[in-house]
Amino acid sequence: MKKNILFLVLLTNIFAACEKDDFCVKNPVTSKLIIDFYDNTNRETLKKVQGFSVIAEGKTDSLFTNQSFNSISIPLNSLTTETSYIFKKNTTGGATANNNMATFSIVYDTEEAFVSRSCGYKIIFKNVAFSTDTNSWITAFTPSTIINLDDQSAAHVQIFH
Amino acid sequence: MIKAQHMFKYFISFCFLFLGAKSFCQEIQQEKVPQKIKDTIVYKTNYGLRLGIDLSRPIKAYFSSSYSGLEITGDYRIRKNIYIATEFGFEKETSIEDYSNSTSKGNFIRVGFNYNAYKNWLDMNNEVFIGFRYGFSLFEQTLNNYTPNVSDAENGNYFPATIKTPSKAAANLNAHWSELMIGIKAETLKNVFIGISVSYKILISAKNPEDFQVLFAPGFNRIFESETGFGLNYTISYLIPFSKK
Repeated sequence: MKKNILFLVLLTNIFAACEKDDFCVKNPVTSKLIIDFYDNTNRETLKKVQGFSVIAEGKTDSLFTNQSFNSISIPLNSLTTETSYIFKKNTTGGATANNNMATFSIVYDTEEAFVSRSCGYKIIFKNVAFSTDTNSWITAFTPSTIINLDDQSAAHVQIFH
Repeated sequence: MIKAQHMFKYFISFCFLFLGAKSFCQEIQQEKVPQKIKDTIVYKTNYGLRLGIDLSRPIKAYFSSSYSGLEITGDYRIRKNIYIATEFGFEKETSIEDYSNSTSKGNFIRVGFNYNAYKNWLDMNNEVFIGFRYGFSLFEQTLNNYTPNVSDAENGNYFPATIKTPSKAAANLNAHWSELMIGIKAETLKNVFIGISVSYKILISAKNPEDFQVLFAPGFNRIFESETGFGLNYTISYLIPFSKK
C-alpha cells in the first residue's frame, strides 16, 4: 500500500510537471520594421542619428528619446493599415530650436498566420509601402515597397541622411 | 623446525575438517530436489470479458470546468498472459493558452493488447501489464477566441492587439496514434478489479483545421509540440467469467 501511494505521488508529479511544457521562445513573433541609417554622401557606410527620438503619430509616449542609433526596429500597428512615425534628430546640443523633424509613414495590409500553441497567431504585413515628407532630414530611402514583412533577419529599409 | 611441522599438520588437518561437511550438504540438496517436482496442483483462474469505466475522467471533470469526458474499458483474455483490450468514449476539453482559447470535442477508440508480466500466487488474478494500443478519434475543434501575438516587451507593447472572437468551428477532424502503456490491476473483490495505468502516445497523423492546429484530441489528451502525449487511467472493472482454465 505504501508502495502504491509512493507510485501515485510520483505519477502526480510527472503530470504536474507536464502541465506547461512550451513557452514561446520566438521573439518577436510578429516582425518589427528594421531601419538602417546610412550616410547620404558615402552610401555604403552606416551613420548614427544623433539626438534621436521616435514617436508614433497619435501616441503620447515615445519609443525612445535622445539616443544615438544607426539601426532601429519599430513595431507596426496591427489594428490599422497605416503607421506614421515622427523621427526627431538633434545633432547639435539638444536645444529645441535645433530639432529636425521627419515623418516616416508605412502603409500595409495585415494577414494573420498561426505559429504554434504557445506563440499563437502572428501578423504578416503585406504590400508595405514607405513614404516620407519632403524637405526633411531624410534625404532618401530604399526600397520604397516590400511585398512581405515577415522576417527579422535583415534590415527592411535603408534611410540616407 | 619441529614447531613448524606441527603447525603444518594443524593446517592440513584443518583443511580436511570441512570436507565431510561439504559432502554432507550435497546429500541434503539431492534429497530436496525430487520433493519439489511432486507438487503438481494447478490453480485455475477465470477467463472472460472484463468491462469497466475510467474513474479519472469524471474526477477530472469535477475539478476542471474546461473538461468533460467518459471512457469505457473492456478486455478479453485469450491466453494465460495475453488480453485483447479496448477503450472508447468521448471527451471535450477547452485549451486555454496565452494567445488562444479553443475547444475540442469528439469520440475515440483505442484497440490493442495487454501482456501480463506478473506471476500470480495460487489462484490470484492480479496484473502488472504492459500494453500496446492503436488509437483513433473523430472530433471537431472550435477556435473560441485569440489575440494576435504582437507582444513587444522591449518597447512596452507600444501597439497592443485586441482579442478576436471568431468562434470558428472545424468539423471532421481526426487523429491516429500509437500508444504504449504500463499499469497494474488488482482483484479487490471477487471479479472486481481496480486498475491504474499510464500511457505514452505518439501521434501518427492528425488532420489540422485550416490555419490552426489540433491542440487536444479526444482519447489522446493534449498534443505536445513533439507530437506526443500522455494518458492516465484509473479504472474499476467487472469480469464476466466465461470459463475457468
